[in-house]
Amino acid sequence: MTRTLLTGNGAAAWGARLARIDYVPAFPITPQTEIIETLAGWIDTGAMTGRLVTMDSEHSMVTAAGAAATTGVRVFSATSSQGLLYGMEMLYAIAGWRAPLVLINVSRGLASPITLEPDHNDVLAARDCGFLQIHCATCQEVLDSVLIAYRLAEDRRVRLPVLVNLDGFYLSFTREPVVVPDQEAVDRFLPPHDPENIAFRAETPMSQGVAVLGGSAYSYFRYQMHLAAAKALTVYDEIAHEFADRFGRCHEAVECHHADDAEYLLVMMGSFATKAKEAVDRLRDQGLAIGLVRPRLIRPFPADHLREALAGKKGVAVIDQNLSPGQGGILHTELAAALSQGRPRPMPVLASFIGGLGGRNIGAEEFYEMARVIVEAAATGRPPAPRLLFSDEELREVRKLQAVARAAGRTGEERP
Amino acid sequence: MYRIRFHGRGGQGIKTASRILGTALFLAGFEVQDAPRYGAERRGAPIFAYVRADRRPINERGVITRPDLVAVADESLVSLPMAGVRQGLDHHAILLLHSATPPDTWQQRLNLAGPVITLALPAGDPGRPSHTPAARLVGAAARLLGSIDRQALEEAVMRELAALDQDDLAANLAATLAAYDETAAHHGAVREGAPISALDYRPPAWLVLPFEEARRAAPAIHAAATSVAVNTGLWRTARPVIDLHHCHRCWWLCSTFCPESAIAVGDDRSPAIDYDHCKGCMVCVAQCPAHAIHVRPETAADQGERS
Amino acid sequence: MSGIKNMRDLPASHLLAGGTPMCAGCGGLEALHQVYDLLGEKTVFVNAAGCMTLLAVYPFTPFRGSWLYTAMASAPAGAQGVRDALDILRSKGRIEPADDLQVVVLTGDGSAYGMGLAATSGAMDRRLDFLYLCYDNEGYGNTGQQYSSATPHGARTATSQGSRGYPGYKKDLFAIWAAHRPAYVATVSAAHPVDLATKIETARGLQGPRLIIALSPCPTGWDFDPAETVAIGKLAVECGVWPLKEYRDGRVRHSRIPKARRPVAEYLARQGRFHHLFKPRRQEGLLTEIQARVDAYWAGVAKNEGQEG
Repeated sequence: MTRTLLTGNGAAAWGARLARIDYVPAFPITPQTEIIETLAGWIDTGAMTGRLVTMDSEHSMVTAAGAAATTGVRVFSATSSQGLLYGMEMLYAIAGWRAPLVLINVSRGLASPITLEPDHNDVLAARDCGFLQIHCATCQEVLDSVLIAYRLAEDRRVRLPVLVNLDGFYLSFTREPVVVPDQEAVDRFLPPHDPENIAFRAETPMSQGVAVLGGSAYSYFRYQMHLAAAKALTVYDEIAHEFADRFGRCHEAVECHHADDAEYLLVMMGSFATKAKEAVDRLRDQGLAIGLVRPRLIRPFPADHLREALAGKKGVAVIDQNLSPGQGGILHTELAAALSQGRPRPMPVLASFIGGLGGRNIGAEEFYEMARVIVEAAATGRPPAPRLLFSDEELREVRKLQAVARAAGRTGEERP
Repeated sequence: MYRIRFHGRGGQGIKTASRILGTALFLAGFEVQDAPRYGAERRGAPIFAYVRADRRPINERGVITRPDLVAVADESLVSLPMAGVRQGLDHHAILLLHSATPPDTWQQRLNLAGPVITLALPAGDPGRPSHTPAARLVGAAARLLGSIDRQALEEAVMRELAALDQDDLAANLAATLAAYDETAAHHGAVREGAPISALDYRPPAWLVLPFEEARRAAPAIHAAATSVAVNTGLWRTARPVIDLHHCHRCWWLCSTFCPESAIAVGDDRSPAIDYDHCKGCMVCVAQCPAHAIHVRPETAADQGERS
Repeated sequence: MSGIKNMRDLPASHLLAGGTPMCAGCGGLEALHQVYDLLGEKTVFVNAAGCMTLLAVYPFTPFRGSWLYTAMASAPAGAQGVRDALDILRSKGRIEPADDLQVVVLTGDGSAYGMGLAATSGAMDRRLDFLYLCYDNEGYGNTGQQYSSATPHGARTATSQGSRGYPGYKKDLFAIWAAHRPAYVATVSAAHPVDLATKIETARGLQGPRLIIALSPCPTGWDFDPAETVAIGKLAVECGVWPLKEYRDGRVRHSRIPKARRPVAEYLARQGRFHHLFKPRRQEGLLTEIQARVDAYWAGVAKNEGQEG
C-alpha cells in the first residue's frame, strides 16, 4: 500500500479501479470530470481493464449503468447536481430493478440560481429513490467508501445500488493524504461480482422492469426494497467491521467524536463536519463538554445509532448544508422524527442551523457561537428559531450586487 | 347511499353509462361521484365503472366492494373472475344483466343470495346495433333505483351524448327510455346500502411483511412466455372460423397476418386458430384470399369452454 | 442474400406468445410478431414507454427471450448498457458465446421521433451494434392518441380536434437517422411481410446501428375496424403514403415503387381520423395538398432511382 496525496475525485477513481469495475458509462459535469478523466486515462493506457463509454446525457448514463448492472457486470459511474436530477427517474427505476452498482455524487448546489459550489440538496433529493446513501468527510473515506459500497450493494441481503457522496471543491479538488490499499488486499475484501439471478443470458430468459398493475403487488415490491434498505444497516456494520479489521480504518454508520461523555452535540454530515470536529476540540480545550455526531449513512437512516448517541444529551445543534423550502433542514427533520420514535426518552433541545449553502464557508467562530446558542437553549429548555448562518456584512454585499442588478427598491430601505 | 357498479367490455359504453346515471342522479338532486376503472386492457377487455349517490356530500372513494346494484352489459363477463362481477354480491345486492337466460337460472348457476333481474336483448339485427348495450342497461338501472324520473334520465342522456351525431343520439336515447319503460315492474327495487359498521367490522388480516432477498423480491420475470396463461380470447364476442374445405393451404397469409400469433400452421399445412388468445380482430377473415374464414358469434357453449 | 422469396418461406409457427393486452388488430403487434419470428429468442428487447409498455405485466411476458423496460427517452441507452455488458462478459470469459444475445430497441413513434432522438443519435455516434424497431402508429398511442411529431398533416387526434386536423407535418425520421450514416435504415410494413422479412434478414447480416420503422396501423387511434389493419397497411404503400425503402452505404433505394399509385384519398377515406376531410364537406384544399406532397415525393424518387423497383 502507498500513502499519497490525492484529491477526492482521484480517491474515487482509485476506489473504482481497485474494485475492478467492468463498466463506466460517463457524462461530464463540474465538479466530477476528473473522476472520469482519470479512469479514461487508465483504461486508454492499459493501467486498468474496463470499458468507459461517454453517453449523451445523465438520463442515458444512468439508464446504461442500470442496464449493464442488470445484465450482470460491475458498474461504476459519477455525476453531480443537475446531472443527478436529470437522471432522477432512472435512479428510481434501477433501484426497483434491484441492480447493484455504485454511483458517485460530487455534491453541488442546485439551480436556480445556478452554482458550481457544493451543498447537499442534490444528493438528498435522491433520498427516496431506493439507492443507499453514504456521505464522506475525507478523501480517504471516499476511496474506502467505494469499496465498502460495492460489498454493500452486492450483498445478497441488500442488492440495491449505492450513492457515495463527496463534497465538490472541499473534497473533489482538495488533496489530502490517502492510503491506497494493495489490489490483493482489496481482492480479499471484495470478491468478484455475482449477478445472482438478475442477468441477461440466452439460457435463462428474463423480463426486467416490467409493469405491475394492482396496488398490492406494487406495495410488495416497493416495501421489499425498504426492508432490504433497513437490513443494510446490519450489513453495513458487518462490512465496516471487516474493513476495519483488514485495513485498520473504521468507518462506522455514525461517527462519534467526544460524544460519549458530552452534554451537548453538533450533528452534521459531509466534509464540513471535520471543521465541526476541530471546533469541538477547541471548545473542549475551553472546558465545554461537547461532541460531534456525524451520520455517514443517510439511507438507510441510522435511527437507532443516532438515538443512542443523543440519549441523555442536554442540547443538540443540527447543522444542515441543505434546505427544503417551507420545511427547513432535512437532517434536522429526519433526526427529530427519529428521536420521537423508539423507547421513550427525555428529548434533548434541538436547534436547527442552515449553513454552507452553495459552498458558503462556515467559520470557526460560527461553530463556537452555535455551541453557545445550544448551551443557552438547553438551560432555558426552549429551542431557538431555526437560523440561517448569514451575517450583516454578507447582506451588505448582496445589496451592492442588487444595486448593480437594479433589483427593485432602493438599497438600505428594506427591513432586515 | 346508493352504490352502483357497471361491468362491460371496452367499447360497450360502460363509462358513458356511468356518467349518464351519475348525471341523472345529480339532476334528481343527489350528491354524486362516478368514475370508470380501466386495467391494462383495451377495447374488448373487461372494464367497470361505478356510481355513488347520496343526499349528503360523499366522502367514500374508490372501488365499490358492497354494491347495491351490479349492472352487467355483457353476460360473458360473469364467469370471468378477473372481471370482478361477483364481488360483493350478497343477499342485499341486485344483479341486473343483459341476458336471454332467465333470472332463476342465473341464481342457480351462480348460487346467488340476492335478486337477479334480466333485461332482454334488443330485438332486430344482431349485426351492428346503432346503440351500445350499455344504453339499455342504464335505462333499466335508472328505473331500478326508483329516484330518477323519466325526464331527468332523458336530460342526462342528452347532456352526456351531446357529441354524437343526431341519429346515434336518438337511437341511444330511444333504447335507454325503452328499457326504462320495460322495467316498470322493478321500480325502486334497489335499496340504499349502509356504510360498513365501525363497531362490527371484519378486521383486516394485516401481517408484518417479512423480508425476502432480491432473488425472490425483485419484480423480474424469470421465465419465458408466461403470457399464455392470460386468456385474451375472452375479449371476443365473435370468432373467426376456418373452413378447411375451402382453405387453399396457401402461403399461410392468415398465420403471418394474425397480430396475436394465434394462428399456427400444422405439418399438414392446415392453419388452426388458438381460441384462447384470438381477440377476434378478424384480420384473417379480411385477408384470406379464398374467403375461407367466416365470422360466427360466440355461443353459450363457447363460453362454457372458455371459463 | 435473403432466403425469403415469398410467404411460404416465412415461419409457420410463432415465437411471440399470445395473451398481451395490445388492442385487437394492433398493427404494431403484427410487426413485432413478424420481426420476432425472424430474430428469434436469443434477443433482449429494450423498450421505451409507449403502447408496448404493457407487453409485459408482472408476472406475464410474451417473450421467449429477454426484455428490459427502461424509460421513454432512453431505450437506446439501455441497449448500450446491455450490449457493452454482454461484450465485457464475453471478453472476460464469464459467459459462453452461446449465451450472447442480440440487443433490439423497441419503441413507438413518440419515443423515436421525439424524446428518444438524443439517445438514438448518441447510440449511432458510438456505432452501437443493435437493432431498432420503431412501431409507428403516428401519435402518442398509449395515452389516447395525442399528436406526436410522427402525426401526418390533417389527422384528427385527441389534441388536434379542429376542422383541419393536425396542422404540422410528419417528421422525416428516416432522413434524420440516415444522416448519421448508420449501417442500415429501412421502412417496413407488416402488411408486406416478404419485404419486411427480407429487410430484417439484411439487417441481421450487418453490424452496427440498424434501424427499422414499421408503419403500424392503429384501429383505436386511427379509428377503423380492427379487421382492416392489413388492408390499410397495404393502401398506405399503394397510395404512396408509406414508401418502402432502405438506406445503406450512403444510398437510399426503394424496395418498392408503386407503378400506378392510387389516389391518397382512398387511403384517407378508410380511417375515422381523416373523416373531417370528407364530411360534412370535402376539404379539397387539404386533400389536394396531401396528394401534391405525395406526388412530389415520388417525383423525386423517379429522378433519383429511375423507375426500377
